[in-house]
Amino acid sequence: MTMDLSKKVFVLGIDGAPETLLAEYVEQGVMPNLKNILSGGYDLVQMDASIPDVSSTSWASFMTGVNPGEHGIYGFMELLPNTYRLTFPNYASVKAPALWDIIGGTSGIKASTLADKFKGRVPNNLRSIVINMPETFPAPALNGVLTSGFVCPDLKKGTYPESAYEYLRSINYIMDIEASNASDKPDAFFDEALLALNKRAEAFLHFMDNERWDLFIGVVTETDRLHHFFFDAARDKTHKYHERFVFFYTRMDDIIGRVFERFMASTNGRGLFMTMSDHGFAPIRKEVYLNRLFVEKGLLTLDPAREYFEQIGAGSKAFVMDPGRIYINFEGRYPGGAVSARDRSSVVNEIKSILIDLKDSDGNAVINRVYDGTELYSGDESARSPDLVAVGNDGFDIKGNIKKPQAFGTSHFRGMHTRHDAHCVMPSGTAPLGRLHIENIASIILERFI
Amino acid sequence: MDHLTALENKSIFIIREAYFRFRNIAMLWSVGKDSTTLLWLVRKAFFGEVPFPIIHIDTTYKFPEMYRFRDEYAKKWGLNLIVGRNEGQVEAGMGPGKGTKLDCCNELKTNALKQIIEKNGFKALLLGIRRDEHGIRAKERVFSPRDENFKWDYENQPAELWDQYKSTAAEDNHFRVHPILHMTELDIWKYMKREKIPLTELYLSKNGKRYRSIGCAPCCSPIESTASNVDEIIAELESTHTSERAGRAQDKEDAYTMQKLRSLGYM
Repeated sequence: MTMDLSKKVFVLGIDGAPETLLAEYVEQGVMPNLKNILSGGYDLVQMDASIPDVSSTSWASFMTGVNPGEHGIYGFMELLPNTYRLTFPNYASVKAPALWDIIGGTSGIKASTLADKFKGRVPNNLRSIVINMPETFPAPALNGVLTSGFVCPDLKKGTYPESAYEYLRSINYIMDIEASNASDKPDAFFDEALLALNKRAEAFLHFMDNERWDLFIGVVTETDRLHHFFFDAARDKTHKYHERFVFFYTRMDDIIGRVFERFMASTNGRGLFMTMSDHGFAPIRKEVYLNRLFVEKGLLTLDPAREYFEQIGAGSKAFVMDPGRIYINFEGRYPGGAVSARDRSSVVNEIKSILIDLKDSDGNAVINRVYDGTELYSGDESARSPDLVAVGNDGFDIKGNIKKPQAFGTSHFRGMHTRHDAHCVMPSGTAPLGRLHIENIASIILERFI
Repeated sequence: MDHLTALENKSIFIIREAYFRFRNIAMLWSVGKDSTTLLWLVRKAFFGEVPFPIIHIDTTYKFPEMYRFRDEYAKKWGLNLIVGRNEGQVEAGMGPGKGTKLDCCNELKTNALKQIIEKNGFKALLLGIRRDEHGIRAKERVFSPRDENFKWDYENQPAELWDQYKSTAAEDNHFRVHPILHMTELDIWKYMKREKIPLTELYLSKNGKRYRSIGCAPCCSPIESTASNVDEIIAELESTHTSERAGRAQDKEDAYTMQKLRSLGYM
């Protein structure tokens, strides 16, 4: 059998890396390797993230190529059915087959519109290497190697097969850095972020060289952490941590260059190479606590003696979970449900008008758009979707925190996710017509294996 | 023959077979319900006299009730008890708060056991694991070879058709022998009831909670239960669908996840 070297795909995920910032850093010479790649027939394309633009949802949309209504991941937390008790979705909650299932023959009973579209058109015996992919814990038994990314509470359970775990342990691989260091020990935070980045690169290169594979997905998540706490340093040359922030991107650029070169050398320049992010970032002006706003507007009552969403009082009309997921407190859906199904449109209109009118103290509009879940999502998992999703204008970080005393505030966070400024680097002419969306990437990858 | 007697006969056969084949063997006793049941069966197999050492791996983090129970019955049953502790790591302060949960188990349990096996040259160890405890254990054999690094190569192990056990292996290997592999959690409780096997009070409900599975105190969480005697536990198990080990890992994973999410501004 002759190997078709064009049927190999390498995707470098750079969590939260915005298209606009990468373009500036390329322009300014901070990222010479990326500049080189772009001048050699690749485009840097701005891409839309999922709604909501949170990593668990967006990465699930990337890996399955379908909308949350099919894959079922709407955020990092959910309520258990018929309760207000929190639960944390993990890979067991991802209901659609991932790329590695579709090409690896491991879909099992999972099905999706994308898998149907490529059924019989792509092989089902291809190997994937997946490193640090968010929302994949516990690691599935795939045809290949996988180590889970955020949130991964246990590296052993998060890695398949065990030999890969043994390797990662042997290099003192870092699952996730200690984000709580960012405010009180910023230097230690930067040091650890850089160390974790180096470990990821070490693991990428190791598995590239020592495993047989057709699809490689390596994800860096330290960019997202850096942005959450130091995005104000990205462009401000007077910022105390500007240099360290930029240095991190220089190192990121080294890694882009190294994996690109090695991949191209091994495929005679014919493999498909991409980098992409799951969302963009913007500096925060204000954090916006919609649950507090709902309390002020009489939509929500809270019992402070209780914890988290169990605080929701009888008679409440709606509540919000991170980042801007709005749930109507329907009868039959929640133990204290107070809204009947036929009142849906009046409650939706009430919430929409409150949010559209919302302004900060300087008179700036806070909410960019309020989406109706029934318009956004389709598929077997859409019944569990939020009823509405509020997306903020850049600068207004929409939060689901339920304990804040005011509707607006600031904290030690300096960056917020944006939906419109994710990026993708891909060979020119690869992008479909119109604006690129994160759900498109999986198709582009699968086309390569036909 | 009734179900429990059939299970008992099978276990006793395996215990005697292991002792006959290897002679230099020992049994691991965690003081939990399964290994205490195994110990009961070992005593029965040899008419009350246990002819080999009983090992208790002491991480120093066990519940006080467990230490009390261990000492009481070691004396009462005349056991040759070996307490295994990875002294170096205990002194160095290893614990669930220091390394990861995994490092802690690895040092205080696995390496402590390695040290004992090396020192005594045991050829086989009797363990009270059961096939229904955890998915991976479904692949276990009754006689399960391990290499010198304790590695279990589950894709390459002898078949055990029609109860023909393969109890020979390469020189460097030792065997794990699982005499109660075929019992379920419910079988254990029913057998404990029939035989009146003693158990630590941790398994019985106190203030609406009881432990369904016990190990080191920091890594175990009780379940909500009002079952305060063996009969009530049996009734509870007959009507439950949650996993026995659910209280062990899930809470820790959730706590980790919450801490991580909070540190990034969620919740």
